[in-house]
Amino acid sequence: MELLNQLFVNPFVDMVAAPDFLLQVLWEGLVSGVLYALIALGFVLIFRSSRIFNFAQGIMVVFAALTLVGLYAMGIPAWISVVLTLGVMLMLAVTIERVVLRPLVGQPDIILFMATIGITLFLIGFGELIFGGENKQMITSELGIPTGAFELNPFGGFLLLEQKDITAVIGAVSLVIGLLLFLNKTRMGRAVRALGDDHQAALSVGISLRTIWVLVWFIAGVIALVTGVVWGARAGVSFALEVIAYKALPVLMLGGLESITGAIIGGLAIGILEKLFEIYWGQPIMGGNTETWFAFVLALIVLLFRPQGLFGEKIIERV
Amino acid sequence: MKKLTNLAVASAIAVVTAGAAMAEGLNVPNLTYRTGPFAATGIPLMNGQRDYMAMLNARDGGIGGVPIEFNECETGYSTEKGVECYEATKGAAIVTQPWSTGITLQVLPKTNVDQIPILAPGYGFSPMADGRVFQWAFNMPSSYWDGASMILNELGGGDLSSLSGKKIALLHLDHPYGKEPIPFFEAMAEANGFEFLPIPVGLKEMQNQSAQWLQIRRERPDYVIMWGWGAMNAGAISEAVKTRYPMDQFIGVWWSGHDADLATVGEAGTGYRSISWSAPQPDAPVMADIRKLVFDAGDSLAAEDELNSVFYQRGLVISMILAEGIKTAQENFDAAEIDASQLRWGLENINLTDERLAELGMTGMVPPFATSCANHTGHSGGWMLQWDGAQFVPASGHLMPDSETIASLEGPAAAEYAEANAPWPVNEDCEG
Amino acid sequence: MLFRTAGQFKTSYLKDQTLFPVRQDAILLGIILAFAWVIFPLTASEFTFQTLLIPVLVYSLAALGLNILTGYAGQLSLGTGAFMGVGAYACYKMITIFPEMNLLVAVLMSGLFSAFIGVLFGLPSLRIKGFYLAIATLAAQFFLVWLFEKWAWLYNYNASGAIQVPHVEMLGTPVAGPQAASMTQYYFVLVVVTLMTILAINLTRGTQGRIWKATRDMDIAAELIGINLLKSKLTAFAVSSYIVGVSGALFVFLWRGAAEPNLFDIPISFRILFIAIIGGLGSIMGNYMGAILIVALPVVLKTLPETFGIPISSATVEHLNVMVVGALIVFFLIIEPHGLARLWTLIREKFIIWPFPH
Repeated sequence: MELLNQLFVNPFVDMVAAPDFLLQVLWEGLVSGVLYALIALGFVLIFRSSRIFNFAQGIMVVFAALTLVGLYAMGIPAWISVVLTLGVMLMLAVTIERVVLRPLVGQPDIILFMATIGITLFLIGFGELIFGGENKQMITSELGIPTGAFELNPFGGFLLLEQKDITAVIGAVSLVIGLLLFLNKTRMGRAVRALGDDHQAALSVGISLRTIWVLVWFIAGVIALVTGVVWGARAGVSFALEVIAYKALPVLMLGGLESITGAIIGGLAIGILEKLFEIYWGQPIMGGNTETWFAFVLALIVLLFRPQGLFGEKIIERV
Repeated sequence: MKKLTNLAVASAIAVVTAGAAMAEGLNVPNLTYRTGPFAATGIPLMNGQRDYMAMLNARDGGIGGVPIEFNECETGYSTEKGVECYEATKGAAIVTQPWSTGITLQVLPKTNVDQIPILAPGYGFSPMADGRVFQWAFNMPSSYWDGASMILNELGGGDLSSLSGKKIALLHLDHPYGKEPIPFFEAMAEANGFEFLPIPVGLKEMQNQSAQWLQIRRERPDYVIMWGWGAMNAGAISEAVKTRYPMDQFIGVWWSGHDADLATVGEAGTGYRSISWSAPQPDAPVMADIRKLVFDAGDSLAAEDELNSVFYQRGLVISMILAEGIKTAQENFDAAEIDASQLRWGLENINLTDERLAELGMTGMVPPFATSCANHTGHSGGWMLQWDGAQFVPASGHLMPDSETIASLEGPAAAEYAEANAPWPVNEDCEG
Repeated sequence: MLFRTAGQFKTSYLKDQTLFPVRQDAILLGIILAFAWVIFPLTASEFTFQTLLIPVLVYSLAALGLNILTGYAGQLSLGTGAFMGVGAYACYKMITIFPEMNLLVAVLMSGLFSAFIGVLFGLPSLRIKGFYLAIATLAAQFFLVWLFEKWAWLYNYNASGAIQVPHVEMLGTPVAGPQAASMTQYYFVLVVVTLMTILAINLTRGTQGRIWKATRDMDIAAELIGINLLKSKLTAFAVSSYIVGVSGALFVFLWRGAAEPNLFDIPISFRILFIAIIGGLGSIMGNYMGAILIVALPVVLKTLPETFGIPISSATVEHLNVMVVGALIVFFLIIEPHGLARLWTLIREKFIIWPFPH
């Protein structure tokens, strides 16, 4: 009885009792959700166009952020560093395509997946060799990101909205809109989508596989840079950032590996739900730290009922 | 065939190199982590350790005329790699410095068999203080329980009963290190009537502690004590600033008082305190030697602004403790090249007085303490360091832990450990 | 020359299907076994035992378990580390509750617990496939490791939250705990690994193995010829997790001596996946070759600069090490995506027809 109370009554009583706190929880969840959605988007783009499950997305975030901070530390102005970092990410995309992907064309999915783990390890070692393992500060204010906070007082309580979080949300949203426009309105973007829909057909109408692969890996690099900047602004730039890649995986399960809408909605949903669960159920009943697995278990349960994810395409198999 | 040759070649190389690792001098390896998520806090400490030994080699030709062979073995704070390093270095080494509570716990039982002392200054398993049970393990000058006790003494103004009815949260790394002080806090909470609330931070959440700080905001603890390490410190401090938790109610253990972590928030972190058994003394004579012989000679891996930081100078103190142990052993056994068991005796008989500290040029960098056969910690006490917006400054007199309470917990905990790991050799010859 | 098959006639189908169709394979295996059973233990140093021999065996066993699931039955799993953890914790609980228990029995029984958990987390495989399933196994990975941390009963309410292997004796000799000699531990592991390998070879060559392969190659077709997919997939999860669980128990009891929950976290799962893939999916021998490569490589790389007297800091070595391992994984995937086992098969084919290739 006590347990049922704790499971089904107390959390909601708490929510109603402190609505300002609930709003804060929702806001924190939303901010994480936006970032999960961004990372998941990077995964989806690469998966759609090449069937590669790109595990290296997480380390690309770290790598992009480190390059940016490292370049700035060399005395290059902030915004020029951003441009140079984009150049580095482009080089990385070209190199990966040339050295790793091209020789592996046509291999089973799992081999390509392992190759991206190989890339991850390589980039970890390479990054630490060049930039060192120390925690670094993101050049937040140098990039013109405001660092203050708005304090609101809903329901007589208080709600703290950090300006850099707001910037993160706005930045992420505009990046997503930009990407959607690119994918839907430009020739290149349509080529990316065509490749995702039907490889053979896309190739036969003259879409270059190599160019598109470089392009999607570069877009993934841009996404990595944006994620690195906003996440790095919250807690510094270090290799521990890499773990946020794991957070994108349940988002992909939930949203479907091929769905851009799924990645966005799934990301937001997981960000908010895992925070709510942790605060109102995890911490009081289960000793906390449930965020490590909650998203995975949630996605697992959803998948039992919808094996292709919420927005994934139904797979029709023929014998 | 292939696997055969592979293995043969690999083992041949390994056997050869394991033999080649034997070298002249006092072999004191350090299991460092200059990579991984904990490198940020590891690097300055390990630079300090390294530079002190380099300074001794350059100034005095080592200790007692024997050069020090100070090797590093990289663990990345991974227990698995740490044990590998321990196995690789133990052949020639006279000491092992595991640098992680997890690694310490793993090698602890092995050291009894391998007969090699563990030096874990200010970390490891708190009951290691009991030298009768843990004959080969040393965690001077202070154990985690000492730190916890000093923090509570400071919070209670010397009288723990004044904490009655208060709520104290422990924001800790969810790792053997972070869990170490929990038994002590629980015992104190029960004895003194305050509410104790452990808040774990998973290894994957070190950089994103918003859930933990939301919990703090909901629970409104009177004090938050932090047992953090690596990227967790910076994460916690910036979240504390963000959620406007009063900094003067936020106190860290000595590993959570890293200058660079506070520098990220600067002025906003003013008032944050960290208990410490070491204090930086930029003007200490030893610093002049280090600057002249190591830093200016280009032998140091440290950056200029690191030299006066709390962690770098703590690294110096750690190496100094080891050097004192070696020197004590050399004098007692009248041998320059000592072995592991002689060093154990040396570490057990350190007597670091104010005079000795002055001689070493390290006055004020660590409180004086002495170890004995039964007391492997020394219980030096320490100081509160407070962040003034730009650096850590001492903010208290010399604080002492509640030795009696700690001893009453240490004894049973050590006995319990020995029992769980029976047969465990216990040295009954020691006196109190 | 070495592999001349002249004079070895097969007069029946049964003979063509034997374990060693070519006599030289049997001789070669004999030599390898002689090395493993006699020569290595006699010559190895403590360091070699602890950093090469025992880990290679433990990791190959774990990879063998994973290979049955992924290589034979086609179900990708990323949760191997957690299942090893289940085995290790089960063994720890059994040994601490019944200190008189025979360690060999405890190790073999601890696999049963992980087999049970494996089947539980294998249930979704009936609905979901491929990467979706891989991510679903991550649910097991993260949830179980979290449970190891939070469920204090599992680690006997230790303050540190880590498990410490107690002293265990068999026939008067210490086999686990700090006092056990490396050689005893090596032989113990070798016995278990040999047992498991024989079991795996027989399973995969028999009916069950064919059922798994049919499920892997095309599940709908397999279903059409009357294979019960539910049974096939779940037995694969059970057998695989059993072996993985046993390897987890060995990992902690016969090698590490202590373990904290995050030892079983995702890096070890990936490590075992590397071994299985670089060794060769769907091959028993590949696991050993993969384990030798993945375990020995970092050790050798670490010692190389020292051997040649190159002054390089240990941190830089570690960075280079990670880079090299990453690059080698990509390299091996490119030169032979089917793993070292396939590479060996190709070399062997060349030997057989040498010196007159068609």
